[in-house]
Amino acid sequence: MARNLKFNIFRYNPQDPESTPHMETFSLEETDSLTLFIALNRIREEQDPSLQFDFCCRAGICGSCGMVINGRPGLACHTKTKDLPDEITLLPLPVFQLVGDLSVDTGSWFRELYDTVESWIHTSKTFDPNAQEERMEDAVAEAIYELDRCIECGCCIAACGTARMRPDFLGAAGINKVGRFLIDPRDERTEQDYYEILGTDMGIFGCMGLLACEDVCPKHMPLQNQLGFLRRKMGITALKNFFGK
Amino acid sequence: MSLPLTANHPTLNARRMDGVLDWAQMLTGVGLIAFMWAHMLLVGSVLLSPEIMNSIAAFFENSGMAQVGGPLIFALFLAHFVLAARKIPFRLEGQKTIWEHAKLIHHADTWLWVVQAASAMVILIMGAIHMWAVLSDLPIVALKAAETLQRNKWWLAFYLLLAPLVHVHLGIGLYRIAVKWGFAGRAERRGLKRFATLIVLVSVGISVLTLFRFWFMVA
Repeated sequence: MARNLKFNIFRYNPQDPESTPHMETFSLEETDSLTLFIALNRIREEQDPSLQFDFCCRAGICGSCGMVINGRPGLACHTKTKDLPDEITLLPLPVFQLVGDLSVDTGSWFRELYDTVESWIHTSKTFDPNAQEERMEDAVAEAIYELDRCIECGCCIAACGTARMRPDFLGAAGINKVGRFLIDPRDERTEQDYYEILGTDMGIFGCMGLLACEDVCPKHMPLQNQLGFLRRKMGITALKNFFGK
Repeated sequence: MSLPLTANHPTLNARRMDGVLDWAQMLTGVGLIAFMWAHMLLVGSVLLSPEIMNSIAAFFENSGMAQVGGPLIFALFLAHFVLAARKIPFRLEGQKTIWEHAKLIHHADTWLWVVQAASAMVILIMGAIHMWAVLSDLPIVALKAAETLQRNKWWLAFYLLLAPLVHVHLGIGLYRIAVKWGFAGRAERRGLKRFATLIVLVSVGISVLTLFRFWFMVA
């Protein structure tokens, strides 16, 4: 016997002066292997074409379908309804600017983050397209790749108590991003350069260790370990600077 | 980095303090954890016998350690409050945000932080009262403590609230320091949480037993 699912969905269109934030209820019969991706598309096609939400890859790679699912930030395409109760409440991710209904603008937030942390390889070498690619130890490449798996869906930011309270906080995705360049041998930035970005309450010292980022990350990024490592590293730099090396 | 737009932008030196203050917050916390456990065991020695507790108290008073150490611990206590308060929202706006957030995400560690911040406020006031009451009325003698509790039931209620709160605050603090500074990684987190819970339960147990030992003590 298929369940009848009740969806409570946040509705608000900031573009429309008539619109006010409210919850709207939809019903849908559960089908085999139903994901929130399919459910939301069915609701939009069969019940309300004005429903706004973001999707792209439907495979947990693009990171655009992050939303708050029964209180927890997560990817809608990764979430099967069989793991959820009969009543499902969907909210847009907090912190990010609301586009409408469940759609938020994570792009602008991350764009600003790239600028703040300068998320590119800083090198004085000029690129020679004819030269052979420089070699890198396998272990280093693996470690960088592990941190580069972040899809920037924004779930860790939405789940973070600090990010909710202070808008300038880099969040786990931001701090992890700096950590990725820190271990990259091609990046010539010094310990002090990284300290300049991370060694503040906007960076790693703002983290209060609530670990919701670690617990909600759909890609299971090693955020707890990464935050701990960077706090120790930046903590040592802080002491070196304070006591004058 | 972006260019400063106003004259009072954070200077390089001021910003450098964030890391040092974070160390100080952690180290004052560790110091207070160590002190509180020692305190619990020393006062808990009354469970073995009131004479043992009296002689320990006499040792600390005769050597002047209580008279000097007491106010120093009080200073450490205040310092820890000021340092940790950097992260606590004191404006209603921030308090509402974190409260709504905790209610929304059903996440144990986020609730633990709320408990940590709320218990801190109670401990700040009650701990200060306790320190004043004890240090302004030296020497510490088991029978005198028993009399105080028995004469006024509110003192018993006071300590029955303060002692568990302190130990819960300590346990969460210990857990938080370990995960925040990376002393415990992803693999150790569960075990650490169990260990911290066990320590809290044992500590609360010892403290409550100690209080009832005073409550039922006869002259």
